[in-house]
Amino acid sequence: MPNYKTADFLENPDNKEKLYGYCGKIARINLTTGAVSFVDTYAYVPKYLGGRMLINRLFWEEVAPGTKAFDEENKFFYMTGATTGCGIPAGGRSAACCVGASSNPEQYTWGNSGGWFGTELKYAGYDGFIIEGKAQTPVYIKIEDDKIEILSADDLWGMRVHQTQAAIEEKHGHDVKSMVIGPAGENLVRIASITTSNDFVFAKGGFGAVWGSKKLKAITVRGSGVVGPADLEKVKALRMDMNNPMMAPKPILHLEQAGLPGGFFPAKYDRGHAACSPGCNQHCHGLLMNGVTAFDDQRVNHVEKCVSGLTFNYTVDIGAPVGMFWPSKQNFSQPCKMLVQEFTEPDPSDPYFEEQGELLLPDILNFWGPDYDRGTIINDLCNDYGIDKWDAIIFILPWISACRQEHLLDGNDLGTGMEPDVENTAFIKKFFENMVYRKGYYGDLFAEGMSRAIAVLGKEKYGESVYHNRISQRLGGKKVALPVSEEAAWGHCMHWQGRGFEASCDKPTWLAMNMQNMLNTRDAQTVEHFHCKIEYHQEALKDPYHCPHVIEALIHTQNNAEIKDSLMSCEWQSPDLWWPEMESLMYQAATGYPVTPEELDEAAYRSKLLFRAILIRNHGRTRKMEVEQIWHVMQIPDSLNEVGDWKQWNEMVSLMYEARGWDLKTGWPYRETYEKYGLKDVADEMERLGLLPEHPAPDAPRWEDYGEEPYSKFVENWKQDTIVLPPQQK
Amino acid sequence: MGDKVYEKEPRTPEELAGYGSHVIQYSPAYSFCAGCDSCMVMCGLTHEGTAGHGNGRIQVDHGTRSLENHILACQQCADHPCYDACPKKDSAMKIDGETGAVYIDEEFCIGCGLCAKNCKFQPSRITMKKDRVRKQWKAAKCDLCRGNPEGPQCVKWCPVQCLGLSEDAVLGEDGLFVPQAKQ
Repeated sequence: MPNYKTADFLENPDNKEKLYGYCGKIARINLTTGAVSFVDTYAYVPKYLGGRMLINRLFWEEVAPGTKAFDEENKFFYMTGATTGCGIPAGGRSAACCVGASSNPEQYTWGNSGGWFGTELKYAGYDGFIIEGKAQTPVYIKIEDDKIEILSADDLWGMRVHQTQAAIEEKHGHDVKSMVIGPAGENLVRIASITTSNDFVFAKGGFGAVWGSKKLKAITVRGSGVVGPADLEKVKALRMDMNNPMMAPKPILHLEQAGLPGGFFPAKYDRGHAACSPGCNQHCHGLLMNGVTAFDDQRVNHVEKCVSGLTFNYTVDIGAPVGMFWPSKQNFSQPCKMLVQEFTEPDPSDPYFEEQGELLLPDILNFWGPDYDRGTIINDLCNDYGIDKWDAIIFILPWISACRQEHLLDGNDLGTGMEPDVENTAFIKKFFENMVYRKGYYGDLFAEGMSRAIAVLGKEKYGESVYHNRISQRLGGKKVALPVSEEAAWGHCMHWQGRGFEASCDKPTWLAMNMQNMLNTRDAQTVEHFHCKIEYHQEALKDPYHCPHVIEALIHTQNNAEIKDSLMSCEWQSPDLWWPEMESLMYQAATGYPVTPEELDEAAYRSKLLFRAILIRNHGRTRKMEVEQIWHVMQIPDSLNEVGDWKQWNEMVSLMYEARGWDLKTGWPYRETYEKYGLKDVADEMERLGLLPEHPAPDAPRWEDYGEEPYSKFVENWKQDTIVLPPQQK
Repeated sequence: MGDKVYEKEPRTPEELAGYGSHVIQYSPAYSFCAGCDSCMVMCGLTHEGTAGHGNGRIQVDHGTRSLENHILACQQCADHPCYDACPKKDSAMKIDGETGAVYIDEEFCIGCGLCAKNCKFQPSRITMKKDRVRKQWKAAKCDLCRGNPEGPQCVKWCPVQCLGLSEDAVLGEDGLFVPQAKQ
């Protein structure tokens, strides 16, 4: 039964700490047997907070090594946080995890989504759910307070996302909240997403395909209960203090240009704004009103988030000031202010004003020119088929554009019956249709995701050929090499890594971002934008590979990502580098539990260790594996035509491992590292499996056996090239 | 509810004459609702200390795909059919002498739901706070945060200030409400 008043959860005998904020139970739903049971939330909190931390513990306990994405044994974990539904800004978000289908190789995959589903689930009395097993025929799960039913989805199977949502509302009423998959998920397309209202999605992990493999079309929820924070006055204070909420009217704007800075073009349209989840004090998503659709003559509103802005024009990459990653206290502004275009007036009295305000001009990439309607259709295709926009916009379409410009697709229509032209809407529609429904050789191939598809086509040619149309504005318009494929690591594409998409960052930043991407695939395993205070920037520029402040900031960034994904909160609201108590205040306001920032950090260390243990135990993670994965990116020149240094990069990796308490040779945590954070049982299991490293002898030299720099066909191609700048001398 | 015909929310001065002061949503040309539910959540929290559909005296009708959201607030009907239907009127349902708003005294509410059923509007602007025992259900209705010097908390906590009070609003060029001072 849901909680209807605070006494209901405070008097729960399992709630020994008398915590507010939680419901107290997690539903376990087995699609093979139809059985429903419950997990006691209080057995895991406050130690594991909620959200991702709680999932990490459950995943460790329940998902065996060797489990693949489409196996019956794979489990889908969905979890809210203590703040969800409590009126604490950004707390309405939620986390999910399983062995995802999108990464290459498959591995633990995570997502964080907005929407109203998570709060509604708490109203129904659940902090989260675990989906186990596989149904024989299409089903959906209907949750209404105590009643959890597994129902036939025969009539829903085959529908696109928006059709499915409409059909569910037709069946169960407009107020029901849902998460659904589209045909991409049904057809096990590895970049299939799970969508809740307003096109908020679990996008990157390929979770939609995991649901498809379980024949799970949708989950609906309606709850009649309540959620209660411990301290309303603290909630109110957070609402006013977190990120300077607007608290002023904001009308629909009538705009006459579209695109992103550097790539604006004339287009008349109306732009509103949208919050992503209940109770947030921001509204950081754009709402593009009355746009065209991909499948009929309707005109509808589309949510614009992050990468979708590039659909309209991908001539120029996204630029960024130094202060985006190296903020100063006086001119610090959280990213949601940028997304919602509510820029605060710059303060020139800031001693770091010029340094943090320096704009690192983005590369000109020339993938496609401006067209507002075409961009809207691309977004709609992704939304309605239920596929990850990131892969569509940053990986698939740029690859087709680059390959065509390099004449790698001459005479090849990619199964569409027309020239592979990403400026032709008809081609784009046909390409996505083939992929989503696995039509023909190429449809089936690209449904496996770009990394796997390029591997089958031949990576040396279709992945590592030089793309000649990248122009560095930072080098005054010189051509700089880029591979035709923007693959970064673990099967995903580049993101703030100094080259490719969102490349506008300097070397200390891209080294840090590549370290993150090596350790936990952005954005399929975390979303964490690197932040380091500007006062350390100059020191980092002098010796970017060995700067202790960068390592410290990396750990802070990673740990804070773990905290915000567990409370819950949002990447755009957390962390605030000059308000380190914010997250502990959020947790205290929600639960009443007196946690300190240091204790939250300890919980984050614990969760990161669990994540590391999962990668090692379940997916065979080693230092060699992850360094080689990321090195491919480091061999591609940045906007200044500079590449990574193999020896120094390995030294930086070693510094990171040491700071984390991991063995330099294997990348595996030591026993005392696990035990320091209360994970003796994990250490024991790792020892039993032979995955616990021995400390080197005290007199042994520091391990530095980095081996030879891995071969890169791209580098060989680049060296022979006469049009782009030659490889930079290290 | 049979063939009951539901009212449209009043807008014109003539229509508004039949209603007391109530919370209204401004035109998107003045401020566009972001759909954050802060009004509903903060309503429940300030009245009850908890948030949920039952105890939110204001609801948000979300456009699942459109992201255009409609606020569902009690219109404070002058002829108060909810009050008239209450079997415990003047104890469970009372009329605020200052604002004219009908409000609920929970101590005497028997949770029969007749007030909600007799609301002129669809969905009903009176919600039912459920409990583990049916007999302990209570009705919840907007009372304009009577006694709170800050006024209605939904208006106070809206991050884009798209809510206001009917007496402070006039019709804008698009036939939707805007604040008087902004006309």
